[in-house]
Amino acid sequence: MEFGSIEREIYVEASPEIVFEVVSSPDHLKRWWPDDARYDPTPGSVGEIVFGDRDAGGTVVPFTVVDARPPRTFSFRWTHPADEVAAEGNSLLVTFDLTPSGGGTLLRMTETGFREMGWEVAVLEQEYQGHLTGWDFYLSRLAPYVATLEVRR
Amino acid sequence: MSPAVAEKVDDDLWSAIGDPTRRLVLDLLLVDGAGTATTLSQQMPVTRQAVAKHLGVLDRVGLVRATPAGREKRYRVDEAQLARAAAQLSSVGSAWDARLRRIKRIAEAIQRSQQDQQRDRPDRGE
Repeated sequence: MEFGSIEREIYVEASPEIVFEVVSSPDHLKRWWPDDARYDPTPGSVGEIVFGDRDAGGTVVPFTVVDARPPRTFSFRWTHPADEVAAEGNSLLVTFDLTPSGGGTLLRMTETGFREMGWEVAVLEQEYQGHLTGWDFYLSRLAPYVATLEVRR
Repeated sequence: MSPAVAEKVDDDLWSAIGDPTRRLVLDLLLVDGAGTATTLSQQMPVTRQAVAKHLGVLDRVGLVRATPAGREKRYRVDEAQLARAAAQLSSVGSAWDARLRRIKRIAEAIQRSQQDQQRDRPDRGE
């Protein structure tokens, strides 16, 4: 395992065109990750994803499209401060690479930036979002971070 | 430990583990059970002095524990601290596993519905 990045691979029985659409379009993103997503899926576009209800204490997280080359690559940065331009060191970079395979698509996801951003901040951000969307929420794991969360905010 | 200190330790823990040479040191210590800068440097393409420096970094973040051994120090991996670092990373990874399973489900449902549409229109199918 390479510490500092997360890599995952999954085989999808759908064409790269369809998979690209699902990983890149804001309407689809909302179905597999945040509760709301507003951005234009073109390189350089700056937008946001929202966890929870925007008007009722939800968390708005900046989202910047880095690369979009259908149907092969889609990448974005997230978690950077709203008043900063997304760059290495202030955000996590997620890259989807799509490779045609058999009748379907091999989808590879890489997330990097944990080391550059500061480990604790990056993991907190991830766990916090995971909690809000109801995924992978382990109370026992989150509890040690609650104290630091309160200090930071 | 105050929260501010805990936070600092975690950032240091991360950069300690982020270095490939230090990961090799940890690997060798896990395999051998224990080692000194001298014994480790014999198994690595770096000098004893360099290994001693890396061990110092690992010691400061609690990933290894030292006991005196003659003129040197003998190091062991602190498995609780190592497990803590690994658990943090794997919890982020499993969140992505869940997201990718959803992506797969959505994409495959779209693919199937497109195929069904083609079947329902035999004049346009092959």
